[in-house]
Order: sequence, then structure tokens, then C-alpha cells
Amino acid sequence: MGVILQNRAARVRVGKGDKPVTYEQAHPPHYIAHRKGWLSLHTSNLDGEGGAAERTVEDVFIRKFIYGTFHGCLANEIVLKRRANVLVVCAVFLQRLPPYKFYFLVGYTETLLSFLYKCPVRLEVQTVPEKVIYKYL
Amino acid sequence: MAAWGGVSRLWRRGCQGLGTFPVNYSSRDMPKQYRFLLNKDLLWVQFSGFHTDLHHHKDNSLISISDEPDTLYRKLSVLVKGHDKTVLDSYEYFAVLAAKELGISIEKIHEPPRKIERFTLLKSIHIFKKHRVQYEMRTHYRCLELKHLTGSTADVYLEYIQRNLPEGVAMEIKKTKLEKLPEHIQKPIWDKLPSVEETATGALETGH
Repeated sequence: MGVILQNRAARVRVGKGDKPVTYEQAHPPHYIAHRKGWLSLHTSNLDGEGGAAERTVEDVFIRKFIYGTFHGCLANEIVLKRRANVLVVCAVFLQRLPPYKFYFLVGYTETLLSFLYKCPVRLEVQTVPEKVIYKYL
Repeated sequence: MAAWGGVSRLWRRGCQGLGTFPVNYSSRDMPKQYRFLLNKDLLWVQFSGFHTDLHHHKDNSLISISDEPDTLYRKLSVLVKGHDKTVLDSYEYFAVLAAKELGISIEKIHEPPRKIERFTLLKSIHIFKKHRVQYEMRTHYRCLELKHLTGSTADVYLEYIQRNLPEGVAMEIKKTKLEKLPEHIQKPIWDKLPSVEETATGALETGH
């Protein structure tokens, strides 16, 4: 009825100016395809293509799995790309663990997910010293 | 340290395919069949854990020669659809460049109008029927029509195009094949048949 509390989806509410926010979090969902890209790229949402539900469930599982294995190391949301049976998971991590631990966890996720989904899974990893802050809200 | 990690990953990827890994081997000791693979210090040696045939690399089974005539296509229509128009633009540039390099003549490139699928859902999990959320899914299209292709050219071009298809983009192919007329209709029938009697034709017409 009023002008307050219109839409709350995927929006970070404005605060005192001390809350750091990344580019992904700062933009509400109506900026997708204008200022933001997609986080999960597959063809099942196109016209005349099927399998959207299965892909979505897989995506949710993979996001939770990687959030759990690399606990506290994720700098940004994971980008999932599906290219003809290959699942490419692109992630940006913080340098909170020594490199040999990262390599082990990367190999572990790759083998476990490829056995789980019966398709080659590749993890493309980039590390960053701190979270890349877009603005403070 | 990071460089070694990157190299080890390359080795892992390379090893997954062939089952070989490089080893330092001086050129005097190595047998003659490996000499053409010499890359200064490194030499790819067969790893016994994987089942790879040593002579597999020599038999180049990709090229095949046959006496049958190649199938001909009058038109090859490649329709790509995706959510992002810029991705389709760049893919079209890539496909056109590949076609020009292979010498394939392009008939036309046109952009069919986009399709938007919209649906309206309830915003809240319980009650509040008056407040809804609307979602939409946009599909953009791009159609590339090629003409006068041979079967092998079409196979090579399509394989190259499909291997480099970006994620989130789907493709549909329509091929119009040119076939030789079957023998029994190559010549018109009225040349060969003996002259038909008048009464027989009259009976046929009245009966029907």
C-alpha cells in the first residue's frame, strides 16, 4: 500500500556506511543482463529446451558443497558453466589457506563432483588477498 | 611454487588423455621410434598404468578415403539461441570467419525476433493474493544460412562450430540434402509406355 517495503529480493539494505559490499551483492536483480551477468550458464532455460529443474538442483548442491569445503575462503559467488557435458566451476578464493591445502581441496572437489554427476568437472580457481569491495552501504 | 602447481595441473590434464608423462632421456639411449617426438630434454614415455597402444599414434584414422560420392547439401541452416545478445553477436562473427576461412559461401545471416516467456507468481508464501512477482526468460536467436556444401566440409565445419559453442547457447541445425533422382523416375513415363487404347481409358474414368 505504501511506498515502504516494496521489494526485498537480493537487495542489500542501505546502512550507516560501514558495510562493505561486492559488485555482485550491490546490484539488485533487475540489473541482470544490464550491469550484471549470470551466475549459472546453461541452456535449459531457453525456448524449447528441457532439464531446467535438474540443472537448478545441481547448481544449488554445488554452491552449498563448495561453500562448505572452502569454508570462509569464498570472495564472491561461484559461476557455473556447462559446455557439452563438462561442468566448469569458476571460483574466486581468499588467500586464507596455504596453497598446498587449496590444491588438495580443488582435486578433492573435482573428483568427488565428477563421480557424483558422471561428467568431467573442472574447477577454475583464482585467489585474491581480500574481498573486492565495490562500495560501502 | 605456483608455476610448478600450474605445470602439474597441465600434466594431470595431459596424462588423463594419453597416459604418458615426460621424462629426461638423452638422445643416444632412446630407441629410433621415439626420435621424432624429441623435444630437447623431455620425452613422453608410456606409463604402464593406462592401456594405450604404442602404435595408435601412427595410424591416423581421422582421414578416410572412400569411393562413394560425397553427399551434397543445398542449404545448411544453423540456428543459435541464447539469453545474451552480445554472446550471439560474437559467436556469429566467429562462425562467419570460420566459414570464410574454409571457403563456404554464406547465403544470409538474419536475426529472428526474440521470444520472451513471462509468468506471474505469488510474492508471499501464504495469502496476499494481490501482490505478485513477474519473471521473464528472454531467448534471442541468430540464423546463419550456408549454401552449396559437401558432406565432409559440413561435418568439419559443424564439428568445429560445435566444439567452440559458448556456455548458455544452444544450437539447432537443419540440413537440406541434394539427392540424385531415383532411376525409375529419371525419364518421363509417357516416353516408354506403349500407346494405351481409347476404351480402356474411358472405362477407367467412368469407374472412378
